[in-house]
Amino acid sequence: MNTEELKKLKLDKVVDARGTACPGPLMATKKAIGEMKPGEIIEVLSSDPGTKRDIPKWAVKKGFEYLGDILEDGYFRLYIKK
Amino acid sequence: MTQSLSVNFLTANLAKKLITLKLKNMAKKMTIALYTGSFDKLTATGVIINGAVADDLDVEIYVLLMGANAFKKENIGKTDHMAELADKKEEFIASLKQLKVSTWMEFFKQAKEMGNVKIYICGLAGKIWNGLVLEDFNELADDICGIGEYIASAQTADVNLFI
Repeated sequence: MNTEELKKLKLDKVVDARGTACPGPLMATKKAIGEMKPGEIIEVLSSDPGTKRDIPKWAVKKGFEYLGDILEDGYFRLYIKK
Repeated sequence: MTQSLSVNFLTANLAKKLITLKLKNMAKKMTIALYTGSFDKLTATGVIINGAVADDLDVEIYVLLMGANAFKKENIGKTDHMAELADKKEEFIASLKQLKVSTWMEFFKQAKEMGNVKIYICGLAGKIWNGLVLEDFNELADDICGIGEYIASAQTADVNLFI
C-alpha cells in the first residue's frame, strides 16, 4: 500500500511504542495484536530503527498481513492487518 | 478387495493429517545454557528471550556456574560484573538508562509474563554459591535441576544457545 492508502485506513488499534528500545515495539505489538480480532488493523508507532525490518518479518511469519509503513520525522508508522 | 484398499487409503490419509496437525500444534523450543553471571550478557539474554517469546517459542533456561550467582536473592539489582568492555561500564550503564532499556530481570519477567519461559538452576552451581533450595534464588527461578535435564531438552530444541 502507498502512503495515501495507508493514511486512509480505518484503524482498530494504535500502539505508541516510541521511546522504547528493541525489543519494546515488537513486544508491544504482539501484546496488542493478541487482543484484536482477525481482520482488524493496527498502527504501530516506533522510533527504533530496527523495527522497520523486524516487525514486517515477524508479522508475515505469524500469518498477519503487513500493509506497509510511513516514515515520519524521527519515527515510523507501521500497519498490520490481523 | 477394492473396499479394503480404500479403507487403507483412508486410514493412511487420516494418519498423515493427524501427524501434520500434531506438528503444527507443537510449539518450537529454544534452550539456553546460561553460564554467565555478568549483567551485560544477561541483558542480551533478556532481549533474545523476549524475541523468542514474540515468535511463540517455548524457552528453557538452564542456569550454570556463574549464572547461579546472579540469580541469588541477595544479588538482585547488582551490576558489579561486566563480561565484555569492562572499562566502559559507566558509559554502558548510562546509555542503557538513557535509552530506557529494561534491566535484565525486567526483561526476564516480561518474557515469563508473555510466554512459556522456564528457568532452572543447576544444582551444582547453586551449591557453589550456597544456594541449596529454590528459595535462595530470585522469583524468576522455577526449580533446581541436574545437567541431564538440560542435555535431554537441548536435543529436542529447535534453537540452542550457550551464553
